[in-house]
Amino acid sequence: MAHNGGGTTPGFWRETGQLIRAVARAMSVTFRNLFRKPVTVHYPDVQRPYPDRFRGILALAYEKDTGEEACIGCRLCEYICPPQVIKVEMLKTEKRNYAKTFTLELYSCEFCELCVQVCPTDAIIMMKSFDLAAADRRDLLLDKDRLHALGLTFEPSWATGNRLRDMQAPPKPTRAAAHGDARGEAKEPAE
Amino acid sequence: MADTLARSTVEIGYGGSERLTMNMGPQHPSAHGVFRAILTLEGETVVAIDAVIGYLHRCHEKLAETLTYVQYPTIASKTDYVSAMTAELAYVAAVELVGKIDVPRRAQYLRVICAELQRIASHCLWLGTWCMDMGGALGGGATIFLYAIRERELILDLFETLTGARLLYGFHQVGGTRYDIPAGWAQQCRETLAVITQRLGEYEAMLEANAFFLVRTQGVGVISRDLAEHVGVAGPLLRGSGVAYDLRTAAPYSSYEDFGVRVPVESAGDCFARYRVRMAEFRESIRLVHAALDGLPEGPISSRPGVKSVGQVRIPKGEGYSRVEGARGEVGCYLVADGGPKPYRLKWRGASFSNLAVLPHIIPGHKVADVVAIMGSVDPVFGEVDR
Amino acid sequence: MPPLAYHALVGFIVLNVVIGMVTYVTLLERKFAARMQSRIGPYYVGPRGLLQPIADALKLMLKEDIVPARADRFIYNLAPIAFLLPCILIFATLPFAPGLGVADLNIGVLFFLAVSSLEIVGLFMGGWGSNNKYALLSAMRAVNQIISYDLPFIFAALVPVLLAGSMQMSAIVTAQHGLWFVAYPVIGQLAFVAFLVATLAAENRVPFDILEAESELVAGFRVEYSGMKFALIQLGEYAHMLGTSFLGALLFLGGWLGPGPAWLGPVWFLLKAVLIFLVVTWVRWSFVRIRVDQILGISWKLLLPATLILLMATGFVVALRGAGGA
Repeated sequence: MAHNGGGTTPGFWRETGQLIRAVARAMSVTFRNLFRKPVTVHYPDVQRPYPDRFRGILALAYEKDTGEEACIGCRLCEYICPPQVIKVEMLKTEKRNYAKTFTLELYSCEFCELCVQVCPTDAIIMMKSFDLAAADRRDLLLDKDRLHALGLTFEPSWATGNRLRDMQAPPKPTRAAAHGDARGEAKEPAE
Repeated sequence: MADTLARSTVEIGYGGSERLTMNMGPQHPSAHGVFRAILTLEGETVVAIDAVIGYLHRCHEKLAETLTYVQYPTIASKTDYVSAMTAELAYVAAVELVGKIDVPRRAQYLRVICAELQRIASHCLWLGTWCMDMGGALGGGATIFLYAIRERELILDLFETLTGARLLYGFHQVGGTRYDIPAGWAQQCRETLAVITQRLGEYEAMLEANAFFLVRTQGVGVISRDLAEHVGVAGPLLRGSGVAYDLRTAAPYSSYEDFGVRVPVESAGDCFARYRVRMAEFRESIRLVHAALDGLPEGPISSRPGVKSVGQVRIPKGEGYSRVEGARGEVGCYLVADGGPKPYRLKWRGASFSNLAVLPHIIPGHKVADVVAIMGSVDPVFGEVDR
Repeated sequence: MPPLAYHALVGFIVLNVVIGMVTYVTLLERKFAARMQSRIGPYYVGPRGLLQPIADALKLMLKEDIVPARADRFIYNLAPIAFLLPCILIFATLPFAPGLGVADLNIGVLFFLAVSSLEIVGLFMGGWGSNNKYALLSAMRAVNQIISYDLPFIFAALVPVLLAGSMQMSAIVTAQHGLWFVAYPVIGQLAFVAFLVATLAAENRVPFDILEAESELVAGFRVEYSGMKFALIQLGEYAHMLGTSFLGALLFLGGWLGPGPAWLGPVWFLLKAVLIFLVVTWVRWSFVRIRVDQILGISWKLLLPATLILLMATGFVVALRGAGGA
């Protein structure tokens, strides 16, 4: 600001006028915001509504019709996990396979949803909550029982393996009818 | 131009005569991440700057050699974590280039929508942090910072509804995208953009004619056109110095040629010019998102079946370089593939890395207070610089 | 009661009241600033955050007192006290109601202005004694800035003194019975605006807060202080801020004058001082800061000549008024 103090050049008065107007405009913006409702959400007293696809804590699910564990111990999630936080051991029985142990190190998890994406039986899913603060890191080393318990504690998110894969490569019309998956988007079959 | 200092050792102390060597260390409220600048001061004037980077090096390029093409896009978003969509896009575009994989039109439009929304969100963060650097965390800068973050949160809500994540998305996959837009998203997107357009007017009212802001930014940190072209900066730094070069028009990718992108250019080359370029980019991105939503074609979102196993994408031998216009400039990814499911070599061109090279040319001669203004207008993100 | 004991008692009461007010004015600023930024301020401690200043004070008292290894210990330890003393001492001259004050000196305004400038000494001691380049840089900037802005500050404050014809604070207030000095045509408003701008600069408030400039110098001369010493410095800053707000209310806004019974006077005084404080806060949270050479340029090239001319014009007006037999 080149002000020649006290001079009565027209530039000086015009600049001063501009300065006053600019100051008034900036202060009026802050003043207007004084009366806007604050955007603060009083977490944890008030919960923000999470969208359907929210990627929260991981959990293991049960099958809807039989109530058995959905995980067949195929280890696809273990192989695809980028930070390699999942460790699975398979248990073979005559009818089907199970997971003997399933550990997930939540403290290193990226929450990228790739494990959910590849699961053939929709066993591993993500919840609509991230509320799992712990004081000890070992509390975040989730074993199979803990994962199943988490699946029952929180609300599951929309995304399961089959739904995500169907979204990427839309199913043929017959498969869509069988899954009963109506998301409201018309999709043509992949070329 | 910078005085030549002995580069082998830089002593922190009194450098003889009246020069003071001061460390604007990696832990600093306005370092935009972890960045160390060793400033040599004469009084209040900076005489030389020695920039030290590498505090955030996480071996991305080596990591990419150990992860498959299916796994790495989620990691790619962590290079430029403020503008994650364009970072993922650079990698996925490189894989598709080398593997000669087509991307369906719907996926291309979705990529455009997400990239432009991400640009708006990244510029919101830029505006907030820049004003906070100039105005103080306890002062007017923080006010603009909170307003800008309030707007950025709206866009992050959109991304959360789309992908489930707010910062690091994993949205892109080789051959298309991973998520499609849910019902009602387009409407929510349009409403958000209307709010942001109106609030942009408020920011400009607070800043444009404000003498305090103008004296801090006009004539400060001038990058001449020759210097910009010579050093190799890109993005708003280049366009603020008079070079009308934008990858979205110069080398269109992902169906950008359908939209007729108008590239904002300013010729002054100072911080104010870069500010004006980014504010114009705000509005242009809003227009592009509206256009893409209007013209969104039906169809599949991926040319490959859904991600089913970790090694399902195999790229035959070849190499290629893909570039996208990120919020900070040209983000490039050079990929060498050897036929397997993992790349043989991956090289990132970080936009901020090249942009930082201009600092020793423009900072000497300015005051200490200008260093933060210039750093803010260069807008580095150190995930991109150090990878 | 012997006069010495009486004055000591009044001083003690005023001191405690002032410290209490200063801590709560920090809460007021935080809530006000938060509302302007679309958020709520301190909320959880006590009902609606009202116990936050107490929590802050307790926390600072319990913090470890870290002294840098190569700091000049004597100066470093003395600095917060040297900074705080003038900032509290200025409240001694303020009359909160006719006859209610510690010492209503007949050179009240002079004492106030002189003592309030002494904070620079404590400030520089803090910057130098910390043995930290950031602190030194900031202390040097502060000395520059505060000295430059004290002159326009004094001249702007002298305009009401001229108009009232006395430096005694209670006399200045009684002279505003008919018309507050801020309502004086042209001279009053200009002097008030100059006073506010000079206050912003003398208090190191944005847009003139280059001294602390958190994004560059990370708390300026305070950077090496922790615990109770930091609390003293904060107390001093806000006490000085509040003190000049009180001065502004007294000089320009009529002090304790206001409708209603006489005992309501101090309440009006407090409200007016808080109003000035809020205006300064409003400005603080609306602007980016300007560079130190630009700050000094404004002071020497714009504000000082302007206030000087204003003062001369006021003297002219007063002389005319006196000559007119008023």
